[in-house]
Amino acid sequence: MSYFDLHVHGHASGGESSLDQLASAAKQLGYRGICIVEYFKGEDQIKKLKTELEKTKQKTGMEIFLGFEARSLKELYLLKERRRRFDILLVRGGDLRLNRAACETAEVDILTHPEFGRIDSGINHVLIKEAAKNNVAIEINFREILVSSKKTRSMILKNISNNIKLAKKYKTPIIACSGALSHWDITDPQCLISFASLLGLELNEAKATVSTVPEKIVKQIKERRSEKWILPGVKVVK
Amino acid sequence: MKQQEKLKILLSTLREKERYISFQIISEEPIIYSDLESAILNTFLDFYGEGGFSKLSLWIVKNLYDTEKQIGIIRCNNKSVQQVIAGLGLISRLGDTRITIKILKVSGTIKGLKLR
Repeated sequence: MSYFDLHVHGHASGGESSLDQLASAAKQLGYRGICIVEYFKGEDQIKKLKTELEKTKQKTGMEIFLGFEARSLKELYLLKERRRRFDILLVRGGDLRLNRAACETAEVDILTHPEFGRIDSGINHVLIKEAAKNNVAIEINFREILVSSKKTRSMILKNISNNIKLAKKYKTPIIACSGALSHWDITDPQCLISFASLLGLELNEAKATVSTVPEKIVKQIKERRSEKWILPGVKVVK
Repeated sequence: MKQQEKLKILLSTLREKERYISFQIISEEPIIYSDLESAILNTFLDFYGEGGFSKLSLWIVKNLYDTEKQIGIIRCNNKSVQQVIAGLGLISRLGDTRITIKILKVSGTIKGLKLR
């Protein structure tokens, strides 16, 4: 079974490790691919990052994808316009308006930690239905659990399990990611699977959060790269 | 000192089914066993509490810890394997040293772990 971690932070988004370190740590833990997530800073940044990623790909033999995380509605709009230039579009959850916008946008692949900094889970039955319709995956962020403790951690766990319950009911994809800031934060895929199963998923569903669901996203990326792709759901057949 | 009388071994159907989990610690500096043991116990007690911890039947197999390769073995019951693996994932530091734990294999016997 091949595992993917689609939320690993690079230098421009507060990451502490180099691309080589991140890729080799992930390879050691048994991942087939990772996605380096950055914050959008301009057109030149995309070109520069792509060349760096190519070098690391050749060095380590890993599948490395380029992702951008939108932190505001404005950023989401900017990134939506440039969707074909990078692989994965993530939206930083936590703000209700942003959570809704992410769930309603078909270009978005992952809504990261929708419960971030909130008392509630950040998602209700309306949003989860929209996410299912637009195929937006809801993320279980392991770093959020790792860096918290006591009452905060218990609140986060409760909110994540609420989101999982909703996602299961409305058949929305769930993805487990490490959300790593450094190569030491990259978590073993077995640990992610076990944590997902503790939070209310069956073992096969938990395994899908690090294998099948990211694989589908990777497949979409490859489709998007082809010249036949026009928009989400629209492509040239003949 | 008077030697304790040993209990007769339980019937195999009444015994708790065990699982052994082998793991490797990836770190910059070498890890001492005592540091690892206290980190595991503290993390598990914090996360599962005393009641939850008692249900795991957790036991760290001290004599099988490989200091060179930093490979250790943990024993638990068959129902708590996922909980133990999840708990191991929560250990990110040993003192000031940052670590990552890699799960190698889960088996019903120690021999099964070594066959890999």
